Amino acid sequence: MADVTAAAPPPVEIVVDGVSKAFGTVQALVDVHVRVRAGEFLSVIGPSGCGKTTLLKTIAGLIAADAGRVVVGDRIVEGPGRECSVVFQDFALLPWATVQKNAEFGLLLRGVPAAERAERARGVIAKVGLAGFEQAYPAQLSGGMQQRVGLARALAVNPQVLLMDEPFASIDEQTRRVFQDDLLRLWSEERKTVVLVTHSMEEAIYLSHRVVVLSPRPGRVHQVFEVPLPRPREGAGVRATAEFARLVDDLWKILRKLQ
Amino acid sequence: MVVALRLVSVIAFVLLWEWAALVQISFNFPSPWATLTALVALVGSGAILTATATSLQSLLLGFGSAIVLGVPFGLLMGVVRPVGRVARVYLDLLIALPTAALIPLVILSFGINILSSAVIVFVFSVPFVTMNAYGGVRDVRPRLVEMARAFDASGPQLFFRIVLPSALPMILAGIRYALSRAFVGLIVAELLLSPFGLGRLIMASRSMFEHDRMFATVLWTLLLAGFALAALARVEGRLLRWRT
Amino acid sequence: MPDVRESDLGRTGLIAVGGLLIVWEALGRLDVSMFVPPVTTVAAAWWQLLGNGTLTRAAASSLGSLVKGFVPAAVLGVAVGLAMGRFATVRHLLDGWVNALMSAPLSALVPVLIALFGIRDTVVAATVFMFSFFVIVVNTLTGVRGTEPSLVEMARSFGAGEVALFGRVYWPSALPAVMLGLRLGVVQAVKGMVVGEMLISLVGLGERLIYYGNTFLIAELYAVIASVLLIALTASQLAQALDRALVRWK
Ligand SMILES: Nc1ncnc2c1ncn2[C@@H]1O[C@H](COP(=O)(O)OP(=O)(O)OP(=O)(O)O)[C@@H](O)[C@H]1O
Ligand SMILES: [Mg+2]
Repeated sequence: MADVTAAAPPPVEIVVDGVSKAFGTVQALVDVHVRVRAGEFLSVIGPSGCGKTTLLKTIAGLIAADAGRVVVGDRIVEGPGRECSVVFQDFALLPWATVQKNAEFGLLLRGVPAAERAERARGVIAKVGLAGFEQAYPAQLSGGMQQRVGLARALAVNPQVLLMDEPFASIDEQTRRVFQDDLLRLWSEERKTVVLVTHSMEEAIYLSHRVVVLSPRPGRVHQVFEVPLPRPREGAGVRATAEFARLVDDLWKILRKLQ
Repeated sequence: MVVALRLVSVIAFVLLWEWAALVQISFNFPSPWATLTALVALVGSGAILTATATSLQSLLLGFGSAIVLGVPFGLLMGVVRPVGRVARVYLDLLIALPTAALIPLVILSFGINILSSAVIVFVFSVPFVTMNAYGGVRDVRPRLVEMARAFDASGPQLFFRIVLPSALPMILAGIRYALSRAFVGLIVAELLLSPFGLGRLIMASRSMFEHDRMFATVLWTLLLAGFALAALARVEGRLLRWRT
Repeated sequence: MPDVRESDLGRTGLIAVGGLLIVWEALGRLDVSMFVPPVTTVAAAWWQLLGNGTLTRAAASSLGSLVKGFVPAAVLGVAVGLAMGRFATVRHLLDGWVNALMSAPLSALVPVLIALFGIRDTVVAATVFMFSFFVIVVNTLTGVRGTEPSLVEMARSFGAGEVALFGRVYWPSALPAVMLGLRLGVVQAVKGMVVGEMLISLVGLGERLIYYGNTFLIAELYAVIASVLLIALTASQLAQALDRALVRWK
């Protein structure tokens, strides 16, 4: 099988520079500044409704900010761009398409020829651990497997930036842990810049270099939390360490004050 | 904005009609103005009101019986499953059947009178009333039934407190759809029978080439049906306020 | 529209229909009423009408009008439904009409059609069109409007333009509803065909219904009713088969 990531472009930096966004009278984000380093794994956490999704979609170019700007690499974001792929909380799989066709979808929209599309999709499907399920329909898969298809689709276009909105929220705990390890492994192989929105403190700390804590609506950056755990973390029993427990507790202390 | 667009489309329609009358696409095509004048005259002379009263008589008789018989039977089908399974087959056939085909048979059996058109209205509307009452009972959420059982509800309690209220939205939707079918049946029947009601007015004007009167009566009929359906929708909304 | 789900005309169906026919036959043999002729007599009449070409001629004319009315209704209905679903302006221009005419007794317009076209079979095709058009529009519209916003967003995140969005997301997502509209529409179309033909009383199975009614040929009348039912059921089965072929993923 051809290694579809051989020519992966180097990761890029993301700069969120004074972004504000209101929906009608609801102020979702106010003057948000975040700088995501090239190749960094960054999590965003905060109370429900504080604007995490809005921030992610603004980076993805799906929502236009009212003020401020987002720069991905050297492109000022004005709409969806080729550097970014989004992984959606509800998976957003086409129910009428097979796993293979779903994984190809981004390539299809970007005009990649059929043969290359099929090959690259097969590669990423195998990479996320779904080899053999190419011809299955989403309805025939478990939630965890469906999200793997969502991840495969995002990876297939070989993005420099991976934007994930609570990708594990509707997946059971055991599956989630396996998936998190797989995600870390993929990240260390491909070194993409990752922004992950999550509700889970353990998840944020286990996966990220830094955690951005947003304040309740209107969302602002309340604090940026460093996670000095060594890598690789997958399979190394990091979750059982005192250091991990202490970090989760520290993060909890910050979040509790925000409620 | 939305209102403006709707208004635009109504004005466009009237203009199109006016234009169609002007270019004489057919020698017997009255203008909107001529139609309106004829309608006013028909209302003034009372002719259309008398015809409406006659038509509504068969409508109420037929549609009323459809509700009175159809709803309980549909509920029975839902509660007693074997009855439901068998009757369902006949209902499906009746719903698929172009009901108008039965009109000659009804006329032969009942003669040319108001009863005949009431029977036709009944046959047009009863399958939908029954089907929805049945569907409403079948779609009651099993969790609610379990909950009531857990509280030791008796059979009648279960039926009146859980099943009937759950089925009500679908029953009412069925009744509203059935009313529109009832109007279709009523009009076809009267157009074919012709000795009374709005149908007679339409056919009589047509045979005397008074096309403005004919258009006026058709318009009146459509408005009447629209009004009745809207009124029923309001009642439905009132009864189902809990659905927000 | 009431909820008319696919019937499971399996064993229960066969028993129910078979039982009805047997009881009917018995009542007919007992001569309870001239309006209940034995099933066998009806079958014989049907066979005879088929043999002497009456039924085939009438059915050919009927089916011709059905196709002439339904095909344009399907094409235009889907197109209008899609346009209304995608463009708010079109939707606001038309939704009042569509909602009103969807449940209006359109049979009242048949005399208007006769005034327009004269007593010709064009009236039948136009009635078929009228009866089936709106239900197709409404279902298509519902299908487009029911497209998951997250799928649209996902496609946009990959840079999908308006055309790709339409062809790759909205259309496949609306397809099941479109097919439902066509299924309901074809049943309505057959009803329109019968109503139109009975009212112009010139050609087709509808004219035969009027004729056998007027001449008290009860068995023949039943034979034509049965034929009409057969056409309705076949049409809806065909639509259902098309649905299954196109929407396999459900
Ligand atoms: N399209 C929209 N129209 C109107 N209001 C919106 C829209 N999208 C988001 N909002 C509002 O903006 C605020 C922030 O929403 P957002 O979805 O970004 O929050 P979130 O942090 O992702 O919440 P959650 O944790 O529940 O996913 C909320 O109050 C939400 O109601
Ligand atoms: Mg969110």
